[in-house]
Amino acid sequence: MQTFRIRYRNTQGTLMRILNAASRRALDLPVVQAEPAEQDHQVTLALEVNQKQAGQLYREWYGIADVVHVGSGSAHAGVWPAAHPPAGVPIEDSRAAARA
Amino acid sequence: MLKGADIVLKCLRAEGVELVFGYPGGAIMPLYDALEGSGVRHILTRHEQGAVFAAEGYARVTGQVGVAMATSGPGATNLVTGIADAKMDSVPLVCITGQVRSALIGTDAFQETDVFGVTLSLTKWSRLVRTLDEIPEAIAEGFYWARSGRPGPVVIDIPTDMLKAKKEFSGPVKFTPHARPADAKADGGFAETGITEKIVALLQQSAKPVALVGAGAKLSGAIPELRRLLDDLNIPTFATVHGLGAVPPEAPYYLGMVGMHGTRAANTALNETDLLMVFGARLDDRVTGEPTRFAPHAKIVHFEIDPAQLDRVRPCEVPVIGNLADTIPAFHAELRKIPTHSASSGQASRKNSETWGTQVPDFSSWRAVACGAERAELDPRGLAQPTIRFLDELFSRLPQNSVVIADVGQHQMWAAQRYRSSSPRGFITSGGLGAMGFALPAAVGVQLAKPETCVLCVSGDGGFQMNIQELATVRRLGLPVKMVIIDNKYLGMVRQWQQLFYQRNYAETDLSDNPDFVEIAKAYKIHSFRLNEDAMREFPVSTETGDEIDRFLQSQEPELLVFDCAPEANVFPMVPAGAALSEMLLEEEPTQ
Repeated sequence: MQTFRIRYRNTQGTLMRILNAASRRALDLPVVQAEPAEQDHQVTLALEVNQKQAGQLYREWYGIADVVHVGSGSAHAGVWPAAHPPAGVPIEDSRAAARA
Repeated sequence: MLKGADIVLKCLRAEGVELVFGYPGGAIMPLYDALEGSGVRHILTRHEQGAVFAAEGYARVTGQVGVAMATSGPGATNLVTGIADAKMDSVPLVCITGQVRSALIGTDAFQETDVFGVTLSLTKWSRLVRTLDEIPEAIAEGFYWARSGRPGPVVIDIPTDMLKAKKEFSGPVKFTPHARPADAKADGGFAETGITEKIVALLQQSAKPVALVGAGAKLSGAIPELRRLLDDLNIPTFATVHGLGAVPPEAPYYLGMVGMHGTRAANTALNETDLLMVFGARLDDRVTGEPTRFAPHAKIVHFEIDPAQLDRVRPCEVPVIGNLADTIPAFHAELRKIPTHSASSGQASRKNSETWGTQVPDFSSWRAVACGAERAELDPRGLAQPTIRFLDELFSRLPQNSVVIADVGQHQMWAAQRYRSSSPRGFITSGGLGAMGFALPAAVGVQLAKPETCVLCVSGDGGFQMNIQELATVRRLGLPVKMVIIDNKYLGMVRQWQQLFYQRNYAETDLSDNPDFVEIAKAYKIHSFRLNEDAMREFPVSTETGDEIDRFLQSQEPELLVFDCAPEANVFPMVPAGAALSEMLLEEEPTQ
């Protein structure tokens, strides 16, 4: 189980788009907690995903118009240290994640 | 004081909109009522799907945002296929839908549909307008997201009472997106990132580098820069169906289309390469074949505007994130600074294998495979020969800068295989979604955007009937669209799969009871005629046939040409679903 924390502006549909990125992959959503966070909102998700799925989700979430930041709360956090993983992830980590 | 409908139209004008496509209905009537004198021209199609495909055609050929309008409920849901199509093919599109009045939302009112919810997963951004004050910012923001980054569809749903209500209007607004902390990082310059050095190192280690060009190269407007870079790299290059026209077909390194129905040369090169440079392609399964066996020896350098497209089927060693109009010239400039490269004119340097530490692939042999005996490659049994020759005749006689719009199916792949233009926006098709019925309404949008251009719409008999009602739009507007139906009296591509993979069980693909398309066109007062495939058996074609095709293409009126195609003609080469590119079929194998 991996935990994600996604900071977003609470505009119409943004939370649904975040959740849809998981549901379109038929991922269960056992934990969803959305709450205000300073001037934005934050949703915390716990998902059973492999590293490849985590990478895809990370990038897809970040592509949503009003998503501000995507962070990981699991032990894998070090794999995706930046908010923009394709540019920030070391090549070997990226390859390992995609092959997982 | 202005009505909401007037404000919508003024905001559209402020975004540069001159043309919208749509179909009226109850909830959106106030917007239609305000059209006259607004400066926005409305094109009435005969179905909302026709409107959204026409808007897409307009957007695809111009690069500007296409706009479609529909009413609530069924009007809005009829837009959905076009919205999905725009999402898949990165088309900037804004759909404005009327909604039931605010007080009725959520009551299952007549013609109420939650179009916001229905389209949530298909749109880049959407808004259900709640107050009159929101309209200017909703339109400004919607257009921003439709255009920005990887372009895509937007839905703005406006309750009918918002369109009727009045307020003071201080003018359109501009939308400025909030900056995100990571955006600055992503915008870092090439010199600082060391990306060029990484790519050059990979090139130096590579014995068989290749380049794959997709739609992103065209959408970014980076074609001149891309061509200069490819000329310099001089490595075997191929295109996806949406990349056709990005590379001049006469370029000595160009191997044609890649993928499920790509050339043997392109697919072989992709299978053998050890370094794949991707320019604006998402590498979907029609390009890769079985993903786990895609380019098995290759490292990948991926130029892409949308990070979400990276690493989907394969990890990439060097992601280059950004608009290709920025990243390609930046990379090329850095590349030229490398002493071993800038010492000469690129190609000469490239051919000096010591400079790069690579062996230059034998272009001549790959090129020979691509161009030699290709007709035989495309059609081992000869059944498709007349159709392929017919398309060759059509394409070779097209005026310069013509636009070909292909529908979805066998004719689409034959057209893509035979297309020989270097016009970047000259070949338009529904590539990602594969929506049959796309071509005819899209051709309406293209012809309206390019009134002086020859617009050739190539459909199959199945797809043409899916939006055949748009013949009325063509006739009403007097658009000189040249429509071709490749009529094999089957859902040809499905039938081909049934033949090859389902023991010839032609379940529900027989369309031999097709209507007479020539007579149907005549009912719409459109000149139409039929060409039998026998006319294409002699080579070169007779003067009479050639003259007839020329007259068809040069007509200033709408025209329909029905070409009779052999019912069991197949498209080859073909990579079966789930197979690797190296397992492409070059001819029909015995059915199992």
